[in-house]
Amino acid sequence: MTEPENGKSTPEQPWPVRVVSQKLGAWIGRLGWVWVDGQLAQINRRPGTQVVFLTLRDPSADLSLTVTAHRDVLDLGAPNLSEGARVVLHAKPEFFPARGTLSLRADEIRQVGLGELLARIERLKKLLAAEGLFDPRRKRRPPFLPHRIGLITGRASAAERDVLTNARRRWPAVQFRVINVAVQGSGAVPQMIDALAVLDKDPDTDVIILARGGGSVEDLLPFSDEALCRAVFACGTPVISAIGHEPDTPLVDFVADLRASTPTDAARRAVPDLAEERQRIAQARTRLARAAAGLLDREQHRLDAIRSRPSLARPELMIEGRAADVDALRQRAARCLAHRLAAGADELSHTMARLRALSPAATLQRGYAIVQRPDGAVVRAPDQVTKGDPLRVRLAGGELAATVAES
Amino acid sequence: MSELSYEEARAELAAVVEKLEAGGTTLEESLALWERGEKLADTCQRWLDGARTRLDTARTERAADPG
Repeated sequence: MTEPENGKSTPEQPWPVRVVSQKLGAWIGRLGWVWVDGQLAQINRRPGTQVVFLTLRDPSADLSLTVTAHRDVLDLGAPNLSEGARVVLHAKPEFFPARGTLSLRADEIRQVGLGELLARIERLKKLLAAEGLFDPRRKRRPPFLPHRIGLITGRASAAERDVLTNARRRWPAVQFRVINVAVQGSGAVPQMIDALAVLDKDPDTDVIILARGGGSVEDLLPFSDEALCRAVFACGTPVISAIGHEPDTPLVDFVADLRASTPTDAARRAVPDLAEERQRIAQARTRLARAAAGLLDREQHRLDAIRSRPSLARPELMIEGRAADVDALRQRAARCLAHRLAAGADELSHTMARLRALSPAATLQRGYAIVQRPDGAVVRAPDQVTKGDPLRVRLAGGELAATVAES
Repeated sequence: MSELSYEEARAELAAVVEKLEAGGTTLEESLALWERGEKLADTCQRWLDGARTRLDTARTERAADPG
């Protein structure tokens, strides 16, 4: 049995188990006493022994450590400790060479009260808000009609049933990909984070609902977990949170893209109501048809109005108007001519009267006579004729020839 | 003439009627205007009839296949 001199192991000089074990123990012992924050996953009080075995988990990750404590330590610091409780303990890592196992030996255990937990959540809330995780501008709108809804919820839970039933009632063809997880207690957070990652990677899942029914404040603690909040924030797919009842507001509600008050509300927000949408489309269609028909009717009226204007409807008017003009002119011409004829006749009768007034007939009637030479000249004095000249004597009753007997 | 849109035909029709009503055109011109107006009115009516047929067809199809 030779101890290695220079602290180096070689194939020729491998370390015996006890040496490795002893060195491990020394390394582990170097950490010394530390204060640890964790969640109790298991308590094992073995009858007849003074040592209690605890399994301490990280609430946000799938990690655990075994803790041993003297029964007195437990009774003193956290007498009513139960599984799921949040604890702070003062412990030192110990290596057990006999089985090669590692555990923490605690000499003080304090249960973290609800008040302290809520105060921690308040501090975390301020921190996350300051980092912008609650920023409304960072929130994405879930799709109007998702291809597939990812649902993270407890197995056979009322929340699962509420979401599925209500979503299917609104939109019967809705598709779900459900991942059942623990929604409370240790393991809840890592399972939910894993489920988020799986659904976020699924290209067909375009909205994720994180749902849980009502529960005590302690039951809802995982939904205020920092790691979960950060995972929801980092998720590329819009997340709808539906945790507990209306007044419950775990931190994940602030981070989620949409906060539903209940699982039923989440279903309502995730899918549209088919009947309602159909009705809207039908209404829109009716209005569309009515508008189109109305437009046609209006245009028909306009066209009818134009066509009924006399200039279009009674083209004969333009001919009739002109025919009337021609008629009028014709009548004017006729009237004008008749007038001229009457005037002519009038003038003629006047002239005739004057002619009659100038005629010698009336004088001849009284017995006078007109004596004319053969050349037609009227004889007015005796010296105008000589003896033997022939004369014509015009009487009222006719003419007679005469000869000058003596001058 | 059929390449005129409904609006073009209607606008021209209104112009023709206005010109006819204003008068001051020769008989020959008036007749030509009237003939043009009738053609334009027919074009308008064809457009309206076509639109109504399309509307009725769409409605009938909708009624036959309410999918």
